[in-house]
Amino acid sequence: MKVIVKCFSQVRYHLGKDELVFHLEEGVTTSDLVEKVRDQAGDLLEGVSLRVAVNQKYTPEAVELKDGDEVALIPPVQGG
Amino acid sequence: MIKTEIVSGKIEPFPSEDSHHNDGAELVFNGRVRSTENGETIRGLFYEHYEEMAEEELQSLAAGTAEKYPISDIFCRHRVGEIPVGESAIHVSIWSEHRAEGLEAMAWFISELKKRVPIWKWAVLENGTKIPSECRHELPTEK
Repeated sequence: MKVIVKCFSQVRYHLGKDELVFHLEEGVTTSDLVEKVRDQAGDLLEGVSLRVAVNQKYTPEAVELKDGDEVALIPPVQGG
Repeated sequence: MIKTEIVSGKIEPFPSEDSHHNDGAELVFNGRVRSTENGETIRGLFYEHYEEMAEEELQSLAAGTAEKYPISDIFCRHRVGEIPVGESAIHVSIWSEHRAEGLEAMAWFISELKKRVPIWKWAVLENGTKIPSECRHELPTEK
C-alpha cells in the first residue's frame, strides 16, 4: 500500500523534502511509520517530539494505516 | 457567531461594532512580529501551515472556545507566509456579556492555538535566510 508523509517545519528542514512516499506492507501502524522516518533521518530528529495526523486528524494512539492515507508528522506547533 | 480565516496577505481587522447591545466587553488581540528571534535581528517571520488541517483545527478550536466559555462571538484571522516585523500574525475579537469570561476565553483560545493548530514559524534573517524557529542551522535551499 502507498502512504504519503507530509513534512513540516523541522522535519522538512532536516529531511529536505516536503513529502515522502512509502510503499508499506499491510498492518503497518503510524508508530511503525514514525520509526521509519526517524531511522531515515539518522540523529537529525533526535529530541524533536512528533505528533501524528492521519488524513488531517490527530491520532493520539497508534493506528493501522490504509492505502492512500496521508500522514503528517507534526513537530511542536507555533501559531499565534 | 464563529468566524475563522487563514489569510496570506495583510490582516484586515474585524470592525469594532456598536450592534452588540447585550455584550459589555469587546476584546481585541493582535499578535505582532517582534524584531528579534532568539536574540538575532530578523526582517520578519515566515508562517508555514498544513493548509487543510489548520483551517479545520482553527474553526474547531473557536467552536470549542464558544462552548467552554459564555461568549457571544469569536472571530479570528491568522496570517501565513512572510510577515514583516511589526505586522500582525493573528487578530482575534471576542464579544461577551462581561469582561471576565471574555478575558478567560481569549487567554484559553490563544494558548490552545499554540498547542493544536498546525502552523509553524521560520525566522527570516536580514539576508533572507529562513530558519525554523528554535533551530539554529542554515537553510540550504529555498522552498
